[in-house]
Amino acid sequence: MSEQPTEIKLHQQSRLLEITFDDGVCFQLPYEFLRVYSPSAEVSGHGPGQEVLQTGKKDVGIKELIPIGSYAVQINFDDGHDTGLYTWEYLYKLGKNQSRLWQDYLDRLSAAGAVRE
Amino acid sequence: MSFSETDVQNALKNLIDPNTKKDYVSGKSVKNIKVNGSDVSLDIMLGYPARSVWDDIRSMIETHLKASLKGIGKLSVNVSSKVVPHAVQRGVKLVEGVKNIIAVASGKGGVGKSTTAVNLALALAAEGARVGVLDADIYGPSQPTMLGISGQPKSVDGKSIEPMTNHGLQAMSIGFMIDGEDTPMVWRGPMVTQALDQLLHQTRWDNLDYLVVDLPPGTGDIQLTLAQKVPVTGAVIVTTPQDIALMDARKGLKMFEKVGIKIVGIVENMSTHICSKCGHEEHIFGAGGGEKMCGDYKVEFLGGLPLDIRIREQADSGNPTVVADPEGKIAKEYKQIARRIAVKVADMAQDHSAAFPKIVVQNT
Repeated sequence: MSEQPTEIKLHQQSRLLEITFDDGVCFQLPYEFLRVYSPSAEVSGHGPGQEVLQTGKKDVGIKELIPIGSYAVQINFDDGHDTGLYTWEYLYKLGKNQSRLWQDYLDRLSAAGAVRE
Repeated sequence: MSFSETDVQNALKNLIDPNTKKDYVSGKSVKNIKVNGSDVSLDIMLGYPARSVWDDIRSMIETHLKASLKGIGKLSVNVSSKVVPHAVQRGVKLVEGVKNIIAVASGKGGVGKSTTAVNLALALAAEGARVGVLDADIYGPSQPTMLGISGQPKSVDGKSIEPMTNHGLQAMSIGFMIDGEDTPMVWRGPMVTQALDQLLHQTRWDNLDYLVVDLPPGTGDIQLTLAQKVPVTGAVIVTTPQDIALMDARKGLKMFEKVGIKIVGIVENMSTHICSKCGHEEHIFGAGGGEKMCGDYKVEFLGGLPLDIRIREQADSGNPTVVADPEGKIAKEYKQIARRIAVKVADMAQDHSAAFPKIVVQNT
């Protein structure tokens, strides 16, 4: 099995999800980042190239985290999006590649002429 | 000559439990050491059911202590078993009255999951554990027939159902709820998963050490519900040595890995065929497939069972092999596998690393 998280902390004011893994690594993932990279089919599609660009999620909040088995959490966002199951593996990947993925998102936004607000 | 408690502990540190492959002290089995002059008494509390070998363990420990502590006087060793409940994943509710849940699964149908599940359950019970069987195969329930149980379960309070019992096992199956053996459950996925949830949570399991869940083949609704909503301790994969079955068994194993359920090990069913006429033993489905798969994925090979007409006949008649011929060679093999599973489960039960992480919400 891959890395297991030991703690997940929601910073509701600064909108950051802080996740610590058992290898000692800790990531701070903004809610907006998690929301636009939701693994849900509504966002990621059913394969590469089917992604749906998410816009205007700058101030999105998290209502609740629901544990799924022992391998993932379901994040309920306050814009109603709740179909993404974030596995430990996926959250680790998001953390590891955070800056590259975020820049990629910003590039796709501006290419589409859309905004974060 | 008198001894200290430490002398006794040190002596026991050199004695390896043949089942756990650990010494009794680091396995935390030694309790209640009392030394009175040269007289010694102690308790051995095993984490797995092992009634049939308690006496062997007692005499092994006595012999060992007599050899390593010269001049020891009266020696009294008391061996017993206590199954510990496993670590609970946060968010997943522990099933009331159940200490450990063992899922028996395979990728392929027809490899003998239900037969294996019921015999392993009976083997655990024979070793002194309290065991239940949950038939999670909603479309094709087999456990009522294999356990020789008919009739409908009763409800005392109109909300929960009492498990059916036979051969010392508690059992629940959708098969008990429907009339006639030929009534199909023509249901879509959501109905099936809800039925499983109800069979598991609304049955009044009575203080079980192990609940063995007999899963249907595949990697779909039922398996996913089990992974997401049920606190499973570990999964046992059943396969035959045939390539086509192994292919699906690998998928089954990968699915459990994906959803964070630990694999207890692999049981190879129909390893060899024994001719009922001449006794010739033959690998009709190929040899060594199960062991190879274990090697590939670094999981334990729990054991192999022959394709023997008696296993089939006895299960079909409601008297599975472990109760029909408890001293026979095949029953012994089932018991051996069951003990390996119990030892592994005891290890897993104490491992909290896979428990769900703490979730903290802060106003920062």
